[in-house]
Amino acid sequence: MNVHVMKTEAEETLGAQFEKLAARLPGTDWLAEERVKAISEFATTGLPNRRVEEWKYTDLRNRFTRAFEPSDGRHVGASWQAIEVALGGLVSFESARVVFVDGAFAPELSNSDDVGDGIEIVALGEALGAPPDWLKQTLGKVNVPSKADATVTLNTAFMTDGVAVRVGDGARGSKPLLIVNVATGEAERSITTRNVVVLGDRSQLTVVEAHLTLDSAATQSNTVTELLVGDDANITHIKMQGENLASQHLGTWMIRLGAHATYRALQVTTGGALTRNQLYLKFAGEGATAHINGAFLQRHKQHCDTTMLVDHAVPGCTSRELFKAVIDDEARGVFQGKIVVQPQAQKTDGKQMSQALLLSQTAEFDAKPELEIFADDVVCGHGATSGQIDEDMLFYLRARGVPEELAKSLLIQAFVGEALDIVEDEGIREALTKVTEHWLARTD
Amino acid sequence: MLEIKNLHVRIAEEDAEILKGIDLTIPKGEVHAIMGPNGSGKSTLGYVIAGKEDYEITEGDVLWNGESILEMAPDERAIAGIFLAFQYPVEIPGVATMTFLRTAINAVRKARGEAELSVADFMRMVREKAKALNVSQEMLKRPLNVGFSGGEKKRMEILQMSMMDPSLCVMDETDSGLDIDAVRIVSEGVNALRGPDRALLVITHYQRLLNYIVPDKVHVLSDGKIVKTGGKELALELEEQGYAEFIAERAA
Ligand SMILES: Nc1ncnc2c1ncn2[C@@H]1O[C@H](COP(=O)(O)OP(=O)(O)OP(=O)(O)O)[C@@H](O)[C@H]1O
Ligand SMILES: [Mg+2]
Repeated sequence: MNVHVMKTEAEETLGAQFEKLAARLPGTDWLAEERVKAISEFATTGLPNRRVEEWKYTDLRNRFTRAFEPSDGRHVGASWQAIEVALGGLVSFESARVVFVDGAFAPELSNSDDVGDGIEIVALGEALGAPPDWLKQTLGKVNVPSKADATVTLNTAFMTDGVAVRVGDGARGSKPLLIVNVATGEAERSITTRNVVVLGDRSQLTVVEAHLTLDSAATQSNTVTELLVGDDANITHIKMQGENLASQHLGTWMIRLGAHATYRALQVTTGGALTRNQLYLKFAGEGATAHINGAFLQRHKQHCDTTMLVDHAVPGCTSRELFKAVIDDEARGVFQGKIVVQPQAQKTDGKQMSQALLLSQTAEFDAKPELEIFADDVVCGHGATSGQIDEDMLFYLRARGVPEELAKSLLIQAFVGEALDIVEDEGIREALTKVTEHWLARTD
Repeated sequence: MLEIKNLHVRIAEEDAEILKGIDLTIPKGEVHAIMGPNGSGKSTLGYVIAGKEDYEITEGDVLWNGESILEMAPDERAIAGIFLAFQYPVEIPGVATMTFLRTAINAVRKARGEAELSVADFMRMVREKAKALNVSQEMLKRPLNVGFSGGEKKRMEILQMSMMDPSLCVMDETDSGLDIDAVRIVSEGVNALRGPDRALLVITHYQRLLNYIVPDKVHVLSDGKIVKTGGKELALELEEQGYAEFIAERAA
């Protein structure tokens, strides 16, 4: 690696910000070293550009020209009503909730008491001061990408808060846990959060992460969720990215599944000038299943990149991915999905599909599916399609009196709906359907 | 009244003409049948009436109730009372049949200045009409036309037709794919729609259907032209003699 590369303004700023902040970041005693290690790693790699294969379609160095001032977490009280409005359809299901405003835990807006017996929830900002053992043992250790990833290292350096959840062996969530991250105010700033979720054996939980902005200021959010899933556990994991169109969002999920675990995930992205969703999943125990779906709806000049790596490290696991992109105007969608099957991972069943619906001539979708298979007894496949709204379907609906716009939105809903179907909870599925309806109805 | 005047149609961006000067008038209260060899242009005529965009009208006009419809969008035509039962109904995955039916009916009612149907009224109406046409509740629960058998799709078309209350019904080979009982059931449904305020155009290959839906006139369409018009007995003649006479004419 060339250490003499010219640093960009943003890279310089990030280094300087860390110097200034380091002493005040939570977890000083035990985490300080990790943070320093992370920022010096970042100093060598810098922001990835398009010559880094994983960032081929999203030149972060080019797009991330300024690093905003990190939020100090002091916010002028966001009201739950304002958050409800921003959540759109997402508030319609019953949930326990933990709310972060400008990157800091907001106890007055949170209520997670009745999430279920045997489930421990703490705010990371506080917990980092005196971390319980399970948190100390997990944080920064769940399926971290082997190749240094700038978004993750920056997150480690700057993280201020987030949710740490431990679901005890056999414990079951009595309702979904909604983690809301909102940015407020009219000042540009960056927000860095980390969630750590540990599911014991045979436990069950639904986690919904929502990322929103209440105002029009540009936000740079960097969020990492580490998810450690025990044997026979069952988790549904949902994310909704609805930040304003000035914001840049870097999200990473690092997941490790135990034997016979069931993982169902869905990421819905409507917001952001730039969204990068990274997902690293490792099968660490035999017989586990992961269904990972995504829907992104983008217009104007929005850019949404989903990049994931599914690592079949043990035999007999099943992975399914279905990503649906609806792209209008000059927006761009990217899907990079890699399935790796390690030599010992016989009887792997892995399939991946990405489909794009392009609503304008200038919309763009880039798909890069990859299979790296080192075992011989496996069933793997991938596919990618991209096309326009089906004219015959549109004509059929219109011939029955359905106006063109409504007919199109029915067909788009149907297209996206296939990805949403992964959510078993009807209330949440309907709420997400409303999120897509809102997007379709929006004219801004 | 439907008036088709000297209609010439070709596929957009292709040279060959498909309809080569059709003249056809169907007054309200009448049922006309069109028969003709494969590829003669019957479905094309239906699509042009319903407003499909793949076609270019190079000459002539189509009038409904005295006004040209050629500039109208397909949904505007539906609102004006025009209904095409498709020869090949389109499967639409992800759109629930009931959602579709309610959206369509209410879109049309709204545009016609009628009140939207309440959920209860809508449900009652579907149940009643579905029962009459032997459309099962199970079919109604599925995505629109997806995985329906040929005959089920046709029955779904007629269910839609009877719910949407059109004044011009064009049925493109609705009988193809129907079993013997279904032909009778569907015909009863269609006959119930016969009346002084409706015009019906039935495209079919089989004289059998016309025993149930007795037409006022039968036209033979061959190579894009109406080559013969007669009464219901013409269908019987065709059944016996085939289209050789007309195809020979074309070759000459
Ligand atoms: N979209 C199209 N592109 C190219 N050719 C077409 C298209 N639509 C129709 N045609 C051609 O136009 C001619 C008339 O077709 P049409 O479907 O109207 O026939 P039809 O009389 O309904 O036949 P059938 O009895 O088989 O249903 C055929 O030769 C057909 O191949
Ligand atoms: Mg035909």
